[in-house]
Amino acid sequence: MEPILQIKDLQIDVKMDEEVLNVVKNINLEIGKREIYGIVGESGSGKSLTSLAIMGLLASPPLQVSKGEIVFEEEKDLLKLSPKELRKIRGNKISMIFQEPMSALDPLFTIEDQLMESLKFHTKLSKKEMKRACVKIIERVGIPRPEQIMKEYPHQLSGGMRQRIMIAIAMLCNPKLLIADEPTTALDVTIQAQILELMKELRDDFETSILMITHDLGVIAETCQRVAVMYAGEIVEETDVVSLFHRPKHPYTKGLLKSMVGDRSDALYSIPGKVPSVEQMPTGCRFVTRCPEAMDICARVSPDDLEVAENHRCKCWIYQEEMANHV
Amino acid sequence: MSETLLKVESLEKFFPVKAGVFKRTKGYVKAVNDVSFEVKAKETLSLVGESGCGKSTLGRSILRILEPTGGKVLFNDKNILDYSKQDLRKMRRDMQLVFQDPYSSLNPRMTVRELVSEPLYTHFSISKVEANQRVDEILEKVGLPLEHSKRYPHQFSGGQRQRISIARALVLKPKLVVADEPVSALDVSIQAQILKLLVDLQEEFDLTYLFISHDLNVVKHISDRVGVMYLGKIMELADTEALYQDPLHPYTKALLSAVPTSDPLVKKERIILKGDVPSPTDPPSGCPFHQRCPLAEEQCRNVLPEFVEVRPEHWVACHLVEE
Ligand SMILES: Nc1ncnc2c1ncn2[C@@H]1O[C@H](COP(=O)(O)OP(=O)(O)OP(=O)(O)O)[C@@H](O)[C@H]1O
Ligand SMILES: Nc1ncnc2c1ncn2[C@@H]1O[C@H](COP(=O)(O)OP(=O)(O)O)[C@@H](O)[C@H]1O
Ligand code: SF4
Ligand code: SF4
Ligand SMILES: [Mg+2]
Ligand SMILES: [Mg+2]
Repeated sequence: MEPILQIKDLQIDVKMDEEVLNVVKNINLEIGKREIYGIVGESGSGKSLTSLAIMGLLASPPLQVSKGEIVFEEEKDLLKLSPKELRKIRGNKISMIFQEPMSALDPLFTIEDQLMESLKFHTKLSKKEMKRACVKIIERVGIPRPEQIMKEYPHQLSGGMRQRIMIAIAMLCNPKLLIADEPTTALDVTIQAQILELMKELRDDFETSILMITHDLGVIAETCQRVAVMYAGEIVEETDVVSLFHRPKHPYTKGLLKSMVGDRSDALYSIPGKVPSVEQMPTGCRFVTRCPEAMDICARVSPDDLEVAENHRCKCWIYQEEMANHV
Repeated sequence: MSETLLKVESLEKFFPVKAGVFKRTKGYVKAVNDVSFEVKAKETLSLVGESGCGKSTLGRSILRILEPTGGKVLFNDKNILDYSKQDLRKMRRDMQLVFQDPYSSLNPRMTVRELVSEPLYTHFSISKVEANQRVDEILEKVGLPLEHSKRYPHQFSGGQRQRISIARALVLKPKLVVADEPVSALDVSIQAQILKLLVDLQEEFDLTYLFISHDLNVVKHISDRVGVMYLGKIMELADTEALYQDPLHPYTKALLSAVPTSDPLVKKERIILKGDVPSPTDPPSGCPFHQRCPLAEEQCRNVLPEFVEVRPEHWVACHLVEE
């Protein structure tokens, strides 16, 4: 499969008063053309920072990429591009939608203004052509009466409609990659189902790859082909979606699956404790404070990220020891 | 489990919509519109529905945190809407609320001990020794270490703060607890901890829960019976098992089909609804669901379906569902 985006050993640090703390590390992943790739993790696990790094939108300082590569279309390392070059890619070849569409839309401008803005920047279409493109994309994302909606302001729309408008803006320039950071978290289930369905259709029509970031394993099961599980800033497991749900390897993934409230099992399970803060990150495996299978070595040394089955990576001592014993 | 603790009859909460220079009432938001149901002692009855359907308003109207604009709320067979302020205060000991947001609902300047003992001092004339004893007891029950009782809310995680809120509600030994989205603000891995705590406490203290949530998975897990709300009305109410296995109302069916699967190999039959929930200021005529209902017929546009018991203990408001 041809990759559209490859992230290699990405590391993000935050500069505090005196010290530099690590917030994200060991991010290795590859998103294929037309693939929906998921990143799942609890809040604070580093999902948003990873996506902001791809877009070149990290708040720097205090945040900075201290290591790694983000290769787009097998040629450009996005981290080496100038701000001007990045602006040309952003909203054009790579676009993004956020959890709270209200904060991404400008309350003082009409929907039409916001759509036109992006077209003006990235295309050389005439005004008439631009307007036609706007109407077309609004219809495509399932909003009736596009001409009327274009004259309205963001606050006049419901949450679901706003997210559709965000998607319309993101799809306007026919991007190669769409990054969706918790696109349905703020929405009701019936609206969530509409939006996820729409995103799958758009992937097919526009041949766009999607990076789907969510804390909801259900959203992953619904939409993704491959998935990375993040915990405390690291990818701890990465594989295809069926293997992840049916043959999970990492103790954290197993815990997350077990704690999915609902139709899985009848007992309520929860992972004890909570995600460690950046200041109190354990030295060895970052999950050691909550892991039911932790061993002595886990607290001292961080395990390697290994291929434990075909196309299945996991970062845990259980498998590292197993593999060492086999040699 | 047959004794009725709470009976809600034709309850209404309309908020006036004011407009213009003179702030004249232009219309009403019918947030809760003619709702009737019963909660039996020691059961968990849940209300589910999408944002804005009136769940919180219903919960608050039952406790008279909001004054209902019509109907009756019978608690132990007495209509508490007739109560004086003083009677109401007494009644509040027996009916407590746990809020959704563990961040904003706790006074940041009070310690855990102060927060949890406050309701005791408000409702009883109680000595400090006795109050402290009861606080210690309840903190242990909700799983907060006693040495944390001198700390302030910001020093706790979301899940721990929710434990504090629960301790505040339960320290009065209420009979009924209305829990409004008590786990919605928490991370998935923490949600189950709090739900389990609520279930354990129910058993220990013989509590009755009115549980409000938008999350169908959470509700399925802890409820004896479930009511589905839409635009200020209950559309369907039944045993959890019956509601999830054999939903009768078209809205319930759509809502259940929209819940993401927990297994990528199981592809669900999905009913994708058209459009958004209409505004409760201007609810549609006839069946409130008719604009989005895939089965709507002519009569649905004009005639409001009645909420009827179509099977034993299974209530539905839809023209197409017959006894
Ligand atoms: N004080 C108020 N004045 C006017 N309208 C109100 C007021 N409080 C609530 N409403 C309206 O009443 C309706 C029901 O609101 P409510 O908060 O009960 O919904 P909910 O089901 O709890 O939603 P959520 O899931 O978002 O918490 C909404 O349309 C809301 O905008
Ligand atoms: N601007 C910032 N300065 C310092 N730390 C930050 C900043 N933004 C995020 N973090 C920290 O980085 C970690 C990952 O954050 P984030 O990527 O937003 O998580 P997620 O999206 O998975 O919820 C968290 O511990 C968060 O507190
Ligand atoms: S390395 Fe050790 S602590 Fe970490 S997940 Fe594996 S077993 Fe648990
Ligand atoms: S009454 Fe009509 S519109 Fe309403 S739910 Fe039943 S079939 Fe649908
Ligand atoms: Mg985030
Ligand atoms: Mg509410």
